Amino acid sequence: MSDPAPIAGDFLSLLAAHQVPPVRGDVSLSAPIQTQATTVFAFHFADGILMAGDRRATAGNVIVTDRVDKVIEIDAASLLAIAGVPATAFEMARVLQTSFEYYRRSQLQPLSLPAKVRALARLLRENLPMTMQGVGVVMPLFAGLDHATTPARAKIYFYDPLGAQFHAVGYAASGSGSGTIRSILSFQERHGEPKPSEMKLPHAVQFALRLLMVASEFDSATGGVNPETRTFATIKVLRAGGVEAIEAEQQAEFLRA
Amino acid sequence: MTEEPYRWLEAIENRREYVREQIKSGSPVFAASLPDGILLLGVGTGNSKVFELFDRHALAGLGHPADMEKIRQAAIDAAHLEAFTRAPEDVSLRRLVSFGLSPQLKTHFEQIFSAPFLVELLLAEVAAEPGHDLLFRLHFDGAFQYETQGIVLAAGLPDPEKAAHEWLRRNAAGKTEKRDLVDLLLQAWWCLIESKSFSENPPTEDERRAGWRAAVNGKVVEIGWLARKSPRLARFEMLTLAQIGL
Repeated sequence: MSDPAPIAGDFLSLLAAHQVPPVRGDVSLSAPIQTQATTVFAFHFADGILMAGDRRATAGNVIVTDRVDKVIEIDAASLLAIAGVPATAFEMARVLQTSFEYYRRSQLQPLSLPAKVRALARLLRENLPMTMQGVGVVMPLFAGLDHATTPARAKIYFYDPLGAQFHAVGYAASGSGSGTIRSILSFQERHGEPKPSEMKLPHAVQFALRLLMVASEFDSATGGVNPETRTFATIKVLRAGGVEAIEAEQQAEFLRA
Repeated sequence: MTEEPYRWLEAIENRREYVREQIKSGSPVFAASLPDGILLLGVGTGNSKVFELFDRHALAGLGHPADMEKIRQAAIDAAHLEAFTRAPEDVSLRRLVSFGLSPQLKTHFEQIFSAPFLVELLLAEVAAEPGHDLLFRLHFDGAFQYETQGIVLAAGLPDPEKAAHEWLRRNAAGKTEKRDLVDLLLQAWWCLIESKSFSENPPTEDERRAGWRAAVNGKVVEIGWLARKSPRLARFEMLTLAQIGL
């Protein structure tokens, strides 16, 4: 019997046909000290979704680097924020980037948002053996444009390590500093003025940077923001028109305002 | 008996005639290197002549839609596998054509008991600097030529294609705006589909312009643009005549 042909537009089945497995790790009894990355969040602001993350990666009590970009543009209509082990998370991002573009180019239409959300869930499920061992755990956030509505609506999703996906109405956060972030976002959404969903971009960026500053006070694995050392966050916004990165210079300007 | 050498040569020649007969009335396609990027143009039904392949790569072609689709899919598969197993920067049109598509086309063409591909193709790769672009002209039998600048085209028959190429080379000199170039390419396209001469008593510019305007009515002018500089990895976008001011 011959192997089945790859499913049209499905990059993972193309990889399987060529025996190139994506995210896969061997079972090991002793887990190494893992590099981890923490505190990412996303919330709705007036024009769309803002997704942000600190830039610190740690291994145990060691700071590996303060220059990690944890918010990744997957394609022109979707963003991924990674929390967990970067080795697995970055590979998941690469699989998604190639898969979404492969589908769009080969099928001459973009993948729908539900299919994108499930594609990430599928990768998380395939990572289950690693997750069960406590090695390579990833708890990402995903934001995408839903073109089923006009104009396209940006939506936020969060996942558990087993791959369950949840639609976040207002905001979501992940990583070791996420508890602090969620508390502040919840308070601001209920009692704040303006609410995050009413903020214009400069205010939303300033708010995001301050969130990270507070989170880093309570969580040593969160890098935080320090204008004096030019340490800022990775911030990307998703609007109906697409993705825009908010660079460090712009962040500094909004933080000063 | 095809085992006899002269029979085989005859069979190959028959196939060549068959393919040319099948695609001679195909709608020509063009690719042009400009200072800001590469422009690809064809006239079809929408998503039928000009296609994105990868971040910096695009395809334009004429021929049987099913064969075009097979080639397009093979190129997209190869490019994405290469990008995933190595890096997007390693996807190279030179390798894609010379080690992938060209041998496949040649094999299909010379296997005389199977159907040949009925296609004529252009493939483009935009470089960081003008003058380093790659514009490949890939034929149904796997033969290919490439240029690093200027204009290339694919038409159903070799002689009109050569005449149009020379005419475009002369007339496109100094044209760097998309609008001017698309206008000129559509003039050449109209002359080719109407079998007008490019040398003896050619139509006037006004006739050519009026000709393409009338001929594209009810069709889709497919204009692909590979931007030389962009903040995004994917440089390709489809443009409309209105977007470029025509």
